[in-house]
Amino acid sequence: MENKVSKNLYMIPYALWIILFVIAPILLVLYYSFFDIEGNFSLVNYKNFFTPVYLQMTLSSFWYAFLITAISLLVAYPTAYLLTRTKHKHLWLLLIIVPSWINLLLKAYAFIGIFGAYGVANNFLEWIGIGSRQLLFTDFSFVFVSVYIFIPFMILPIFNALDNLNPSLLYAAKDLGASGWTTFRRVVFPLTIDGVKSGIQVVFIPALSLFMLTRLIAGNRVITLGTAIEQHFLVTQDWGMGSTIAVFLILIMFLFMGLTGFRKRGA
Amino acid sequence: MTNTAIIQFNNVTKQYDHDAPVLDHVSFEIERGKFYTLLGPSGCGKTTILRLIAGFTEATSGDIYFNGKKINHIPANKRQVNTVFQDYALFPHLNVFENVAFGLRIKKMKKSQVAAKVKEALSFVNLSGYEDREIKEMSGGQRQRVAIARAIVNEPEVILLDEPLSALDLKLRYQMQYELRELQRRLGITFIFVTHDQEEALAMSDEIFVINKGRIQQSGTPIDIYDEPINRFVADFIGESNIAKATMIDDFLVAFGGEQFSCVDQGMNPNEPVEVVIRPEDLEITSFENGMLQVEVNSQLFRGVHYEITGLDKEGNEWLVQSTKKAAVGDKIGLRFDPEAIHVMRFNETEEDFDRRLDSYSEGEADGK
Repeated sequence: MENKVSKNLYMIPYALWIILFVIAPILLVLYYSFFDIEGNFSLVNYKNFFTPVYLQMTLSSFWYAFLITAISLLVAYPTAYLLTRTKHKHLWLLLIIVPSWINLLLKAYAFIGIFGAYGVANNFLEWIGIGSRQLLFTDFSFVFVSVYIFIPFMILPIFNALDNLNPSLLYAAKDLGASGWTTFRRVVFPLTIDGVKSGIQVVFIPALSLFMLTRLIAGNRVITLGTAIEQHFLVTQDWGMGSTIAVFLILIMFLFMGLTGFRKRGA
Repeated sequence: MTNTAIIQFNNVTKQYDHDAPVLDHVSFEIERGKFYTLLGPSGCGKTTILRLIAGFTEATSGDIYFNGKKINHIPANKRQVNTVFQDYALFPHLNVFENVAFGLRIKKMKKSQVAAKVKEALSFVNLSGYEDREIKEMSGGQRQRVAIARAIVNEPEVILLDEPLSALDLKLRYQMQYELRELQRRLGITFIFVTHDQEEALAMSDEIFVINKGRIQQSGTPIDIYDEPINRFVADFIGESNIAKATMIDDFLVAFGGEQFSCVDQGMNPNEPVEVVIRPEDLEITSFENGMLQVEVNSQLFRGVHYEITGLDKEGNEWLVQSTKKAAVGDKIGLRFDPEAIHVMRFNETEEDFDRRLDSYSEGEADGK
């Protein structure tokens, strides 16, 4: 009995945290979503969400999140694979993770400097003879910087999955006649799919709601759901519409989590 | 090279950086259809030989031939050998059927043919009906069988087994020893089995290679190796042995423990220092006066089938005796043994010289070995 009591005692901080910072905000968001801009109870926000403006925004959010996730995965998987082969793999991994400790805003400002009209990137293009061009405030720079920011989060779970892979399985596949590519397709990838899934989750979901980068790097040319929420809360003061978008974003996240599956085999 | 040799190593050396070589100029031949065992302590290089045959690693120097063709640089997936790994290396994301079918699917075999072959392979290892099981639902012994089925289904010419029984408990291990031996006879495939367990090696093999420090110390049938160990290492590693320093007085006469004994060995220099081996089961306890060698008992253990008694002779050599007779610590007893029980080993004799010397005995005798 006493054991159970003390167990429940230990649960208090966690429960408090969840109630105050997860459940309460979600309920508040849900509550606000039912009020129009004048403060009257209505479903008009939900109706508005299904207008072309917001649907287009949702679509473009998805498109950019998909691009960012796909490119991150394409870069991260081979990187993680190479890392597991190096001698001091944990040191190299640390070096990749360290930039993620730096404040996002600082990194964004750094990229403004790099991609600016007289930045390092343009100097380089000038030097190799292509000539300087508009880099900042383009789709390219937005996706590039986003991928840069998310890549450690993609590498980490994939690295762990690859690192846990029993090397004798690779020998076994080879022994049974599999070429390098077949071994990858039939053994390595299926066995690290859980790592890939968690990588996709931790990149795709935050990428859906990116908002700071859309302004700083993409110059508001890219408007995602995250940007819309920010604008509604801070600029138009339409908390109801902002909340409604947030509700949809939360629903999409849960749907996505369900689709990619929760981690099972502890990748 | 003889016609039946399927694998041949020619002066193969394997060395990592500037460390001492793992394999040091190893040469041997593997004949088709036999059960071979590479036996040695851990780190002796036996697994390296297996990996060289499988193609998981390349020799630093020397040539490896398979069916008469040099295969030094042929990748593992192009070799006609299959391996049963120590940890089985079964694919955890595939069920039993798919694990066994893995190699066949890579060969793009027809579905119906795959199903038939997998079924046959599973029945060979007594796992019929387990096709749909997941690997994690299988016990250690069953996983072992799946691993064997996955190797034999490809009909390789050689199967390599890397200490496959070491993870099993004693009873299952004995059972698998019988099954493996039986399987090898039925299939007629060459088995190369790696183990550090000398009992396993003696029980299962047609031929044993005893390996130590990257060199083959001795090769031969289990009986040859047990009865005629070439040196102290082999005598000590295979079975229990009493090894004593001795002097070869003359042909058929050897001195140790302060006495002279007639023996069956010859062809050494007069008064050459040698070592003798006498197996504990060849020593018989008798009264002090009747003994050929007198020892004072210093320990006795009851082993169930027999007593294990150790005693010291007057030169301080320790003698281990397995006897159903009991003794007491401090007793002075006598030991008897036949001249044939004494096996003389020269220091630093190569395997070729050793074989030549043994052959010369049998030529001398009318009835051979």
